[in-house]
Amino acid sequence: MDIISNLLIPIVNLDLLLLIAVGTFAGIYVGAIPGLSVTMAVSILISFTFSWEVYPALALMIGIYMGGVYGGSRTAILLNIPGAPSAIATALDGFPMAQQGRAGEAIGIVTVVSFIGGFLGIIALALFAPFLSDFAIGFQPRDFMLLAIMGILLVGSLSGDSLVKGVFAGALGIGIGAVGMDPLTVQDRFVFGIPDLRGGISFVAVMIGLFGVSETLAQLHSIHTPAVRQKITNIVPSWAKVRKHLPLGLQTSTIGTVVGALPGTGGDIAALMAYDHAQRVTRNPEVPFGKGAIEGLVAPETANNAAVGGAFIPMMTLGIPGDAVTAIMIGALFIHGLNPGPMLMIEQPDMFWFIVSSLTLANIFMLIFGLTGIRLFVRIVELPRTVLLPVIMVLSIVGAYAINNSVTDVYWMLGFGVLGYFMRLYGYPLAPIILGVILSRLLDDNWRRAIISERDDFGAMMMGIFTSPLSLSLFLAVVLIVATSTPWWKRWRARKAGVVASQGQKP
Amino acid sequence: MQNLFYGAALALGLATTPALAEYPERDIQGIIQWGAGGSTDTVSRSLTPHAEKILGASVILQNVTGGVGAIGLNQAERADADGYTLLFGAENPLLYKIMGLGDKDYADFVPINIIARGIPILVAQPDAPFDTFPEMIAYINENPGEVRFGSTGPGGLPSVVTAMINAKTPIDVTSVPYDGDGPALTALQGGAVDVMPAVLGAALEPVRAGNLKAIAIFDTQAVEQLPDTPAITDTNPEFADVLPWGPFFGVFVKAGTPDDVVAKLTDAYAQATQNADFLSMMDGRGFRMLSLSGAEAQEFLDTWQRQTAWTLFDAGIAKNSPEDFGIARP
Repeated sequence: MDIISNLLIPIVNLDLLLLIAVGTFAGIYVGAIPGLSVTMAVSILISFTFSWEVYPALALMIGIYMGGVYGGSRTAILLNIPGAPSAIATALDGFPMAQQGRAGEAIGIVTVVSFIGGFLGIIALALFAPFLSDFAIGFQPRDFMLLAIMGILLVGSLSGDSLVKGVFAGALGIGIGAVGMDPLTVQDRFVFGIPDLRGGISFVAVMIGLFGVSETLAQLHSIHTPAVRQKITNIVPSWAKVRKHLPLGLQTSTIGTVVGALPGTGGDIAALMAYDHAQRVTRNPEVPFGKGAIEGLVAPETANNAAVGGAFIPMMTLGIPGDAVTAIMIGALFIHGLNPGPMLMIEQPDMFWFIVSSLTLANIFMLIFGLTGIRLFVRIVELPRTVLLPVIMVLSIVGAYAINNSVTDVYWMLGFGVLGYFMRLYGYPLAPIILGVILSRLLDDNWRRAIISERDDFGAMMMGIFTSPLSLSLFLAVVLIVATSTPWWKRWRARKAGVVASQGQKP
Repeated sequence: MQNLFYGAALALGLATTPALAEYPERDIQGIIQWGAGGSTDTVSRSLTPHAEKILGASVILQNVTGGVGAIGLNQAERADADGYTLLFGAENPLLYKIMGLGDKDYADFVPINIIARGIPILVAQPDAPFDTFPEMIAYINENPGEVRFGSTGPGGLPSVVTAMINAKTPIDVTSVPYDGDGPALTALQGGAVDVMPAVLGAALEPVRAGNLKAIAIFDTQAVEQLPDTPAITDTNPEFADVLPWGPFFGVFVKAGTPDDVVAKLTDAYAQATQNADFLSMMDGRGFRMLSLSGAEAQEFLDTWQRQTAWTLFDAGIAKNSPEDFGIARP
């Protein structure tokens, strides 16, 4: 009974309902602008909501979080600039759709599957939180290392035409991610005595440069080509279309929830892993991946919204943040006199159900706000390029500066923009660079941590992988991913399929 | 033409009047050395609104992170010494020189308020085969190298506490470095490490819930939040000469800031630290209030730096000798 009354708190209090709605609406736009991140918005809100009660403060933050994770897909689809790192994979198939005049359709399906993903994440939070958090904190350094290796293998599905160029781009990304002071040893790496490099290269600056600026430069080639007319029918996807992709959406939501619940990994990695998963399980996409496949939108967008619910799981059960945003929310709870930790669920269960209910409402508002106003949004792509390109440049510069209020990040962003332009020109895929930057630290730190934990004994670490069921499953998954990508495997599959086909022809 | 001249003169006049006006007559910028959601951030953001009311000006807080806080510190140091840029920092800068992280530290700043101090605590997994500090040392000596200590890298709290223990009773443990005490405590709860010297506030909730076991408060007196956990000096009085020790938070302005501005800020923050809501928040997070300013604060900083720098140098963790920077052995 208490649960129901706690669930009803944000619904029956009109001010809370309104705050969630305002937060979600604002979040969609914060998320859509590259460089303005949810993390930033929520940390500003801590000061802003300082004198408020805890419920309204959280209601606003939750709205921003949910809306922001979804909002990143907008600019990814319309402009090929992911509004947030978790929307990188969305750009791969979303932007080709916009170029075909199907931006409205893309945003429509993304909105609906984001809602579905978000909803599944919330259900996982409400029903399985204690179980999933036990599972998530059981991850050892070697498991994070294996997860990062699985992530690195995604280069294969992000490379497009040339795997060699993809591997090069991924390796470049890992190198960029390694710049800065190593937190494990406090040693400078690739810093060359320049103090500004000690903090590393902001990967959001890299992302804005590689996607935003290089896209702008590339479009200068066709500045006088009239923009593609956008069809604005079929915005709300039909039930048949949603149902067709529901099985994939369920799988990728599970990936999103679990990766979101792991401390230290969030929606960005979840979305990329889901994209890879979609490529693996989709037998015959109507349109090939990278050319505007619906599956390429469904997978990352369900996963990154499911990761929101996932990130709350360790936060609510243990007081351990699942990602950067929940880390700030834990700080907010402290400021409001609560003690987030394992006892919170026992001493203040109302907080848990309030958050579940607020997330659900934010998810519903996201669907409503997402589906309305698409017509206006897709007009952006129809603007003449002479107007659109300068606007993108200004947004990119503002976004890069806003990351850390630092001009250095703007220079990095511009530098990577030029680099990205030439890489595009020579057919190098750019998404693997971002993948490399995101995974660099996860891989490097946990690889060393795993060996240090075993007293610098590499053999003991490998033994650990084979004796722990979790590590062994992850290791086998890595082996399977590698094996299924080899030519031998493909030949064997083809031969087997041939046998089946010829058997079928026998009378 | 004449109008233009008058206009220019007027504009010039307007531009110069602020020097005469009373501080603060515009927004103050606050640089937080550490990321959003961390303890420095939480403490700064919950204290500052109370100080704003007293100052009658807004303090715009932003997190400038990276380089163990050195990037934020250097940014605050590059600003004018006019009191319009505040630095919210933790203890780390006092170790920059000996750790080779930079040549600027709090010597280039004036302390406005040393807000509070964290209390170190030794925590272990709930099923660890020891309950007290002497038992832990005995177990470590029986199993050399087996026990994994969570760490936050050289110079962090766990490395200092481990160095202090080593100076009294040499122990052979494996230190596993993490990105901060949050991730390290998560690893402890997940079984990736066995023991962690942590700050009380971060370990309090998991200890209360029974997810972690408190071994000893690394201080000269027990704490009211965990009355059953002994202070380390109860079992091992030899630690009394290096304790109390702990990480701290403070508000700073650049050295050379006019005295009246420093006085005004000092007064505002001293009053703000008396706020009841703030005090109960700090108590809940397990911090011990200090609210030091002026000579007292400077004395605190100097003592802290001497003691910690030499502990790290003697443990072989520091890159440079404290002597090179005129830091005398305590």
